[in-house]
Amino acid sequence: MATISNNDIARAIYLVSKDKTPIEFQDINHKVAQFLNHRRLLSKSKDILERLEKIMNKENNRIVVNVSSVKKLEEKIKKELTSILKGRYRAKEAVLVEKLDTTLLGGVRIEMDDEVIDLTAKNKIRKLQEHLTRVI
Amino acid sequence: MSTNYIIENLKKEIDSFSLQVKAEKIGHVLEVFDGIARVSGLSDVRSSEMVTFVGGETGVALNLEEDTVGVIVLDDFSKIKEGDEVKATGRILEVPVGDAIIGRVVNTLGKEIDGKGVIKTNKTYPIEKVAPGVITRLSVSEPVATGIKVIDATIPIGRGQRELLIGDRQTGKTAIAIDTILNQKGQNMICVYVSIGQKDSKLRKIQTRLEEGGAMAYTVIVSAGSSEPAPLSYIAPYTGVSIAEYFMDKGKDVLIIYDDLSKHAVAYREISLLLRRPPGREAYPGDVFYLHSRLLERACRRNKEYGGGSITALPIIETQAGDISAYIPTNVISITDGQIFLETDLFYKGIRPAVNVGSSVSRVGSNAQIKAMKKVAGTLKLDLAQYRELEAFAQFGSDLDESTKKQLERGKRAVEILKQPQYSPVKTEHQVAVLYALTKGFMDDVPVNRIKEFEEGLINYTENNAKKFYKEITEAKMWTDAGEAELTNAIGEFKNNFLTKV
Repeated sequence: MATISNNDIARAIYLVSKDKTPIEFQDINHKVAQFLNHRRLLSKSKDILERLEKIMNKENNRIVVNVSSVKKLEEKIKKELTSILKGRYRAKEAVLVEKLDTTLLGGVRIEMDDEVIDLTAKNKIRKLQEHLTRVI
Repeated sequence: MSTNYIIENLKKEIDSFSLQVKAEKIGHVLEVFDGIARVSGLSDVRSSEMVTFVGGETGVALNLEEDTVGVIVLDDFSKIKEGDEVKATGRILEVPVGDAIIGRVVNTLGKEIDGKGVIKTNKTYPIEKVAPGVITRLSVSEPVATGIKVIDATIPIGRGQRELLIGDRQTGKTAIAIDTILNQKGQNMICVYVSIGQKDSKLRKIQTRLEEGGAMAYTVIVSAGSSEPAPLSYIAPYTGVSIAEYFMDKGKDVLIIYDDLSKHAVAYREISLLLRRPPGREAYPGDVFYLHSRLLERACRRNKEYGGGSITALPIIETQAGDISAYIPTNVISITDGQIFLETDLFYKGIRPAVNVGSSVSRVGSNAQIKAMKKVAGTLKLDLAQYRELEAFAQFGSDLDESTKKQLERGKRAVEILKQPQYSPVKTEHQVAVLYALTKGFMDDVPVNRIKEFEEGLINYTENNAKKFYKEITEAKMWTDAGEAELTNAIGEFKNNFLTKV
């Protein structure tokens, strides 16, 4: 018997709950909880919910972007960044999740799913180090 | 070197440095175990693509699953931690190649391990490549002189052929391979010896032997030792053949030895099981045939328009208790263009190399022999097979007719002649002379226990007294009537002197 992956379960939850009224949704929620309990999958519920969120974001054309920097970003930069990212990923909505990291030395690091745009000073120095220590 | 000079150079380097910002695909390590890392992310990674870990370790993406990627780690995996970042490089795993690699011992990633300094190369070759197509190929017609009489005479190997060396442990498989490398001196051949899962002491011994024989001048050794993780053993033959392809692309003839593919299959089985691929027969994965067929198919002979180079492959398979019907031996037998069987019984009977001529075969056949060798060794294989049959039959009774007795006597001498000590390859022209003497019956009245002595003496004598014959064999690959007469006289004279001597 083929195993059902967490992704399959998350997608199934999304499909059954799509376009449903709040009352219908409550019933679905109850059934999902019962299913997870019956299949002993409650321990995986965190991962399933994360996947569900990703699926919903994708379906709604919404992106969640992690932005790491040394200091808090100015509102103007955030707005610019949001519009650039919306254009790049053709998204309706872009949510920036800010993270402060002093080890980056300067600049920003943008992470969207498994794609990274590293504009930090730390990365530049590492690349320079690679350039200077390469075997000729 | 002055401080100013260093500073100036550094400034120049820094000025020339430009950083191109680009989006990179990354993943995160979920788990690491036994040289395997399971990585999340890396959504666009391709099969066999190189990935790098934060500590600089290299890996290869093998299993592409829905949410995760199974990566084999080619460096020390003990420093990789859960959550570490992994970057895709966009490149299929490649190894550095170049002329400077000749004479060196390298590891699976093409890095030197012989302590002779960095190998300066400016080219890389991908380890996985589609084998050359039919249009670019040429049929096998030129011989690879192994210097081993029994092989050159009865199971000839041609340039571009794939000939399997198969036998139990300690039957002389590696010895044949090493002898073949040693005999390539002056034959315009580059040799690549791929050691898979062998003991380092054995490899060191082989390297020393090749150095002593002056063979390292045209040889590259690729080593994946037994103490190294399985992924390195899995990659090693592909590294070897990529190096060989570099030389073939330059129009050179290359001989590659895979020692041995049984260990390669075992390493692949280990990786596959760790990657949770379904096990099949003998727990090998379903694609173990393709593992070897795609490797051996890269051995070929190219036609002139495509450079004219060749790769001759001598894969080695170790059998357990002579069982050639096991999974891997049958697979590789069916892939290759012939096999040389080595038997423990023959080895302990003192017949060395312990080649079972009856079961060994070269599917390219006499196309890979020079005309002179074809002429003297044409019926040798059949004669030997008949001798083996008669030998068994003769044990039951002594009433044998004259022709049978003659055949038995000839067979005994043929077996003696085909015996050869290790590390002493014989030149083709000498082989022709000796086999000529045997097949024309010159040795029939020489006592069997003096055959070896006769052979050595005959080579020395004819070298000085049948110069024309040797010249013809070297240049025209065939003798003329005059050359033959000279050799016949020389053999006759030597035999008279030899038999009168006690």
